[in-house]
Amino acid sequence: MIKQERSVNRDKPQKLYIQLLDIIRERIEAGEWPVGSQIPIEEELCRVYGVSKATVRFAVLELVRKGYLKRQQGKGTFVCKRVIPEGLTMSSSFKELMLEHGIAYTTILLAQTVLMPIDDLDVKLEIPENTHVIYIKRLRSVEGEPAVIQESFIPHHICPSLLKEDVVENSLFELFENKYDITITGVRDFIEVAYSSAGESKLLGLPKDSPVLLLEQHFYSGESQIMYMRSVKRPERFRLSIDFKKKE
Amino acid sequence: MAGTKTVKDLMVGVFDFPHIPYWFTIRQAIGIIRVSFLSTKKYPQPMAILVFDEKYNLLGTLGLKDILRGLEPRFLRPTTKAQVHAEDESGLSVLWDTPFDTESKKNAERPVSEVMTSTKFFVKPEDPITKAAYLMVHNDLALLPVLEDKKKFVGLIRMIEIFDELSTAILAE
Repeated sequence: MIKQERSVNRDKPQKLYIQLLDIIRERIEAGEWPVGSQIPIEEELCRVYGVSKATVRFAVLELVRKGYLKRQQGKGTFVCKRVIPEGLTMSSSFKELMLEHGIAYTTILLAQTVLMPIDDLDVKLEIPENTHVIYIKRLRSVEGEPAVIQESFIPHHICPSLLKEDVVENSLFELFENKYDITITGVRDFIEVAYSSAGESKLLGLPKDSPVLLLEQHFYSGESQIMYMRSVKRPERFRLSIDFKKKE
Repeated sequence: MAGTKTVKDLMVGVFDFPHIPYWFTIRQAIGIIRVSFLSTKKYPQPMAILVFDEKYNLLGTLGLKDILRGLEPRFLRPTTKAQVHAEDESGLSVLWDTPFDTESKKNAERPVSEVMTSTKFFVKPEDPITKAAYLMVHNDLALLPVLEDKKKFVGLIRMIEIFDELSTAILAE
């Protein structure tokens, strides 16, 4: 049972998921939910704090991003030791984070279609669950060898015409900025080592469960997230180099 | 006069319906049906999902009946050799209970392409609505895709709008 001392306040202008996030974070920081412990299941959090499942999922995912929690498939969500330092607010240009900068690619289009969000995609894209999403999947090769599987998810209402665009020859960023006048003002990147699925292994020509570099990127235009991109890369092809500058 | 109306006059938008690619599982489609229709208490006619390929070509539609058929345990399906009388459903409730937890849950992992109603019939925007009505009645369909130049998917026409139009004309005459 969760001991409820603080609750969300619907009269506050602050979003509910941010209020819930603060409550959970305080419990973790106070040691009430220690490192390694499992946090209550979604339904329990909904019941105790009187919020929807979506609010709980947004708050939990954000805490996962911030390094407070870790989700384990089929087991639950656990408090983890934070490895992400806070307080260093840096800025860098997008191209430096793309990893592909300066490398000549050939691209094969695997899919350019529409789907509804499943799993955590609605939370990742910060959209309602019943939103149509444009799905673009490309395989990029370097010197004839498959190197990156890139899946891009764009809420359909952001740029409906993207469905008909040539995304083999054109980069999505250039299309957004130069053709549709959608300026990308921020990117949040998450990089981790993962293991390739059967499908990914086949496309990349790797044995199943091979270590791969997983890059997840969230692209923003102002307050709106316009795209979530998931790239699975052969690790030996990439060396990550990012230059940071302290914000003025 | 209903006869002068064409498909484009009654056509509804493609994005009025949820979209999925053919590789989604029945389980994932059920989740989408629940989110898009059941949880919103909106019950559009027909309650269907559109199924597309990688190039956004329409492959078929997936309705509640298709999903239930896809979940059905194999032994409940009639075969030509052991065809039972349509009214003979003795023991069905007993048979359904246990297998629903086992074989049906396994069936929920099948791709929707195996259970959807494939798109075999379509109409053009300039076709009369009576043509759409004919195709729907004779092929047991509640929804027809509207294709321009036999290729470009521009909308859908539903039984409910056709019925409304034709029945209004009948009552007026």
